[in-house]
Amino acid sequence: MRTLLVIVRKDLRLLWRDRAGLVFLTLAPIMVITVAGFSLANLYGTDPTGQTAYEFPVVDEDGGSLARQIRDRLETDRAVRLVLVPNREEAQRLVRDRKRAGTALVIPRGSEAALADGRPASLLIYTDSVKYLERLNVRLRLLELRDALANEHRAEASSQVEEQRQRLHSELDQLQSALGSARARLDAAWVEAERTRDHAAAKLRHDIARAQQQAQEQIGRELAAFAEDVRRELDRQLSEMRTPLRSYVEALNARRADFEIWLAELKRLAGGRASDIPSPPFFPEFPDGLVRLLQEDAPLRLPSPDRLRLSLPVAPRFELPPLPAPPSFDIPEIALPPPPKVPGSLAIEEVSLGGPSIINTFDQNVPGFSVTFLLLGMLLGVSLGLLDERDWGTFERVRAMPIAVANVLGGKLLSRFLVGMVQMVTLLVVGWLAFDVSLGPQPWALLLPIAGIVFAGTGFGLIVAAVAPTREAVLPLGSIVIVTMAAVGGCWWPIDLEPRWMRTVALAFPTTWAMDAFNDLMIRRRTVAVALRPAAVMFAYGTLYLLTGLLLFQRRLRRRP
Amino acid sequence: MSENRGRMVLISVDGLRVRFSDRWALDGLSFCVAGGEVVGLLGPNGAGKTTTLSVLATLQRADAGVVIVAGHDTASATARVRRLLGFVPQSLSVYPTLTAWENVLFFARLYGLRGAAVHNAAARVLAVVGLEERRHEIVSTFSGGMQRRLNLACGLLHTPRVLLLDEPTVGVDPQSRERIFLAVRAQAEAGAAVVYSTHYMEEAERLCDRVVLIDHGQVVAAGTPAELVSALGRGLRLDVTTHADLPAGWHEGIAGVSPLVQRSSAGGPGSGKRVQVMVDDLTVAPRALERAAALAGEVLEFHIHQPDLQDVFLKLTGHELRD
Repeated sequence: MRTLLVIVRKDLRLLWRDRAGLVFLTLAPIMVITVAGFSLANLYGTDPTGQTAYEFPVVDEDGGSLARQIRDRLETDRAVRLVLVPNREEAQRLVRDRKRAGTALVIPRGSEAALADGRPASLLIYTDSVKYLERLNVRLRLLELRDALANEHRAEASSQVEEQRQRLHSELDQLQSALGSARARLDAAWVEAERTRDHAAAKLRHDIARAQQQAQEQIGRELAAFAEDVRRELDRQLSEMRTPLRSYVEALNARRADFEIWLAELKRLAGGRASDIPSPPFFPEFPDGLVRLLQEDAPLRLPSPDRLRLSLPVAPRFELPPLPAPPSFDIPEIALPPPPKVPGSLAIEEVSLGGPSIINTFDQNVPGFSVTFLLLGMLLGVSLGLLDERDWGTFERVRAMPIAVANVLGGKLLSRFLVGMVQMVTLLVVGWLAFDVSLGPQPWALLLPIAGIVFAGTGFGLIVAAVAPTREAVLPLGSIVIVTMAAVGGCWWPIDLEPRWMRTVALAFPTTWAMDAFNDLMIRRRTVAVALRPAAVMFAYGTLYLLTGLLLFQRRLRRRP
Repeated sequence: MSENRGRMVLISVDGLRVRFSDRWALDGLSFCVAGGEVVGLLGPNGAGKTTTLSVLATLQRADAGVVIVAGHDTASATARVRRLLGFVPQSLSVYPTLTAWENVLFFARLYGLRGAAVHNAAARVLAVVGLEERRHEIVSTFSGGMQRRLNLACGLLHTPRVLLLDEPTVGVDPQSRERIFLAVRAQAEAGAAVVYSTHYMEEAERLCDRVVLIDHGQVVAAGTPAELVSALGRGLRLDVTTHADLPAGWHEGIAGVSPLVQRSSAGGPGSGKRVQVMVDDLTVAPRALERAAALAGEVLEFHIHQPDLQDVFLKLTGHELRD
């Protein structure tokens, strides 16, 4: 046990003397926790100070109460920081060019009027596809805001509809009552109509019968009078015809006697031949009636007109058609429609200002972690390489040779620069082949940020080499700085997760500019022009690092015991 | 350039002072080295040997004094001086993951050699140190002695007029040590001025034409090994290890015994206390041993030998070379 304690004390003493190890045990994780905690502040919501709030440009073209409500609510939302901008161009510039915001809102002119008319309307949002989480968060906020407004309007409309429904219900009750009364009156009127119809039908039949009888009597009288007129006329006409007719008959009888005489004379004259004379035509005897008519002066015996019975056709029995069934006044139970739902007709239309709306996550991760490992490679390559040279004594030997220290360092840094370039290009090509990473419209333009970050990393490696006293100090010192630069610079997660102050601080790191250029070229699909400024900044940082590293290195060489 | 014993002085150090923070690493150092001469810088660790070589190699600026190499001031004509220098640092200043051949080619090119001269020089130096057959092997697989030989070879590529060697035989095997000695001697014989830093007294005595004894940044003594040893006078050195401490002046009253160092030192764990005195001859030694035994109870061990540079240094500084 005593031995164990002795060993424990010794190991603790060794650890206490190993300052680099202590730093790695304590300061490094604290640094990582701090950086990650601040960087991912937006991941789980907003902080009370508003540092994590997204800058949110809003263009109010409508100017109505709806726009006012939207603006008022956004102004009280801690997740966003409302910035009113005058027009769409300015909003687009803030999102696309200045990258101050991941999302901007346009409330188009006429939105409120369209909604008031029952027509759909759309809010327009400009988005930066790189700022995916910000875009989702802001969109979610907008959707919540829209739903809240819609719910309020819906509740108001529902209240109005319910009021109208109640009023309508009351009016319908009145209507139903009125209709019931009307139906009763109609039924009574219908019964009266049937009764009146039957009475009218009976009276009509009676009148017809009486009219028929009167007509019959009148016809009889008329016929008798007419028959008397006929008889008198016939008697007159007969009297007028009897005299000539009697003359004629007498003449005819005379001629008949003459003929008989003539025939007898003829036969006498024909003598023997009298037999050959054919019999003369026979004179028909006067009908008895004619003889009697000519002999008598009695009037014609006419049938009595009383035998003429003219009977009027029986009047067809008529039946009045029954009255049609009385109209049904059954009022169906009127089911009042439920209150109409107010449609959520306020849509959100999204316009991406660059790049696809759906991002391949490797588009962020491949350059991000490539930069991280590039810096680690630079740290190991430059810092440990120089420390190796120092420990091996080769640097001392080379310094004693007829070449300038600048050449020695320059050659070493140039080799690491080339290695870094190859490393970055290789990782991006692997990302392209294996993970379908976008290399943008101009893949060659990626060489600009690659060269920039490799150059800056090279200079940074020189600084670490000049500052770190030993190899053991390089890892904690370098890893803390690299972790900070990578995390804060947006290599591990989108930089937009970070609070505003941290994003400002991040501008001091070349990683931030590198990721900015990579995101522009690879995700936003822009051309080489956008990479010029970040590359220039990175080269400036690299130059600063190199000069600082050289100064520190020379100072260290001068102070070398 | 002046001459020293008929040879042209290639290295002249005069009043050299170098300060590290709160102490003077070199404090008025002066010596010179002529062409064809091997001069040993002999001193314990921290005496200022490496600092002296660093100034000579233009790696360290002097705070005071003048250092002339082949007629050029190292402070103002650094580039010219470097072309003349062959510097073999104390550490193994070669790339362990390259082959011996790759190492010498690299340094040959840095020395400004071009074309066939690069390969010729590389082959020559590897032959000098006996590594031509192993030239394509990775250096890290070499033994310590082979690496030291390669380290030396890399300093000989451009046939320097001035060769600076900083303890080039640390931790090497006897065979490699011989190779290194031969190579160094060959350079001197070729006319180079060689400064050989070591704390091995035996190396200095054997290899160096002259020796500069350094302690605390100052020259304690300079001369040929024989000259320095002879300065001690006649006699033998008697090392006595006793069980207990001997009191100061324990040898007083014994004729023919003189003090070499005023203090005693531990002879080693469990081995008692050691004191050193000079005796005129062997006959004196028994009396000294009897006195020691009487005062300390028991003499555990004693040695008698001829004086050397170690004794010179001890005599002059009061402490040993390997303190």
